Amino acid sequence: MATDASTVGDARAASLKKRARPVEMLIQGFLFVAAAISIVVTIGIVYELGKEALLFFQSEDVTLGEFFSSTTWQPAILDFGIWPLVIATVMVSVIAMLVALPVGLATAIYLSEYASERSRGILKPILEVLAGIPTVVYGYFALTFMTPLLRSILGDGVVEIFNDASAGIVVGILIVPLVSSMAEDALHAVPMSLREAAHALGATKLETSVRIVLPAALSGIAAAFVVAISRAIGETMVVAIAAGAGPKNFTLGEDSLFGHILNPFVAGETMTGHIVRISGGDLSYDSIDYNSIFAIGLTLFLITLVLNMLSRRFVARFREVYE
Amino acid sequence: MRYSHRLAAVFAVVMLVASACGEGDSGNTTTTTGAQDTTTTASVDGMLPVVDPLDVTGDIVTAGSSTVFPLSEAMAARFEDEGYRGRITIDSIGSGAGFERFCEQGETDISNASRPVKDSEIESCRSIGREPIEFRVGTDALAVTVSPLNTFATDITFEELAVLFSTAVTWQDVRPDWPANPIQRFIPGTDSGTFDYFVEEIFDEDEAPILNAANLQLSEDDNVLVQGIEGDGCDPDDPATTCAVGFFGFAYYAENSDQLNVLSMEGVEPNEANVDAGAYPLARPLFIYSTADLMKQKPQVADFINFYLTHVNEEIIDVGYFPAPPNALEAAEQAWLDAMS
Repeated sequence: MATDASTVGDARAASLKKRARPVEMLIQGFLFVAAAISIVVTIGIVYELGKEALLFFQSEDVTLGEFFSSTTWQPAILDFGIWPLVIATVMVSVIAMLVALPVGLATAIYLSEYASERSRGILKPILEVLAGIPTVVYGYFALTFMTPLLRSILGDGVVEIFNDASAGIVVGILIVPLVSSMAEDALHAVPMSLREAAHALGATKLETSVRIVLPAALSGIAAAFVVAISRAIGETMVVAIAAGAGPKNFTLGEDSLFGHILNPFVAGETMTGHIVRISGGDLSYDSIDYNSIFAIGLTLFLITLVLNMLSRRFVARFREVYE
Repeated sequence: MRYSHRLAAVFAVVMLVASACGEGDSGNTTTTTGAQDTTTTASVDGMLPVVDPLDVTGDIVTAGSSTVFPLSEAMAARFEDEGYRGRITIDSIGSGAGFERFCEQGETDISNASRPVKDSEIESCRSIGREPIEFRVGTDALAVTVSPLNTFATDITFEELAVLFSTAVTWQDVRPDWPANPIQRFIPGTDSGTFDYFVEEIFDEDEAPILNAANLQLSEDDNVLVQGIEGDGCDPDDPATTCAVGFFGFAYYAENSDQLNVLSMEGVEPNEANVDAGAYPLARPLFIYSTADLMKQKPQVADFINFYLTHVNEEIIDVGYFPAPPNALEAAEQAWLDAMS
């Protein structure tokens, strides 16, 4: 039986091969080129990034050890310690995720499990509009709305005009549509039979959503989270406008951990924000300051890469396959 | 799964492209063009012959002060917009290095300087047969500003500035009768001539003290500085609130004078009259230098200087400096006429 089927299949494949299909080939070729372009561009960017970053580390003014151990970043006086920038980036991303994950996930569960067709029809387009707002607008929203709001709650003395908290919250709002739409796709893909089985066993709607559907869609939701984190880490305009315009340099042991180093209410420049600010000035191409932004870019790239690899592991491990 | 990876990869690429683009732009200064209204305008007082950049050919090499650089850049951009087809090089290497290349190597046609030429430099110029002619093109002045909520600081001295922008933590550290509010500092980026000038005047050319200061925000965008200083939330009665201080080109302060308070410097009130009279201590003249021989041998150099003097006042505010006093500009035009006669 099996042999029969495969012989038939082979014969059919052979007969298909004989006929030339120029249009098909043309389309295939076009699709291949399209896919190849993105790969070539990626390779080109990695090469350029690596080349310039290598120039930076070859300079005698900086060592790899200093880059990863110093806690002061001030290129003009040859202080190259990446930590102030990394800490600010991580802080903004964490705050953003604290906002985006619960809100995005709750939205997704509501849209997928609870919402009537009518409320779905209203909510989804609004979320899509949220995703379409230019990030520069979000930046000024953070500076002129979120910061004053935080100040009115916590006091002017606590919250500085530029701060990581308001930038983080707004980046979180910015990525809510991304989280909710990807998570909703994942929830939607869970087979209906699972829900029916749960209901048949007497589970309530909430129990079904949280205990059956959510775990079943975990891999898809995790993927949504990782994309969202990458988005938050790489977000540029909001942090350039609202998070601050100087690295929050510190001395371990001297500056208080929560009063300064990890205080989200004071200004702290992120990696992307620093690249934007530095490249906005009259920087000469051969200077070490210029090369340093490639080193930051490479660090950013590696962080995103590691996150992606981790998520791949995670998703592969928790993936549940039905049918 | 695959979807997410692709998305992440695409995102990473977009992010990197964006940053690469940003870097690509970094060599350019903003060029304000005013081509439409200018081709027909003669010089302000009609002293100099009208230049048509369309007729000018040949290359021009200039080098010198990083402060004059953006102004020369703007003038060169305008010269090119109006039809100049040669190539003009502007190197931002500092006034001293500029004179070295002008007077010792004799490589440049025009030297940009944010101070008058020194006697020693004139000597070395003469030794290679060059007699420098000075053209005043503008004035650079710095304004040190605080937010309108800051009611205690109204004046400051150079010594206090050095403390304020380096080691001081609270305002009380600067002057004992000021309150103990923490200081936040907003200053122009390290690539700007404004930053260089401040460091030169206040810290004797040593960048380390100011860059090591805590609570330091640097930006090439003066708007960011104004926003930061204006929104500091300073309350002299509540020592928990930070009170900001910052400095930038005086011209930029003048545009935002309703949002900021400016400090008197060494007892001199900063205003146009005091800057023109040379009384305001954080101000300095901006010059370009050339020689009569160069201007005659290379007509493009004479034409460019002529164009520069004629139109500089239309660009200089945008660049962030003060126009030169009218009589200084007139003297420069006279110097051009004398050189060409």
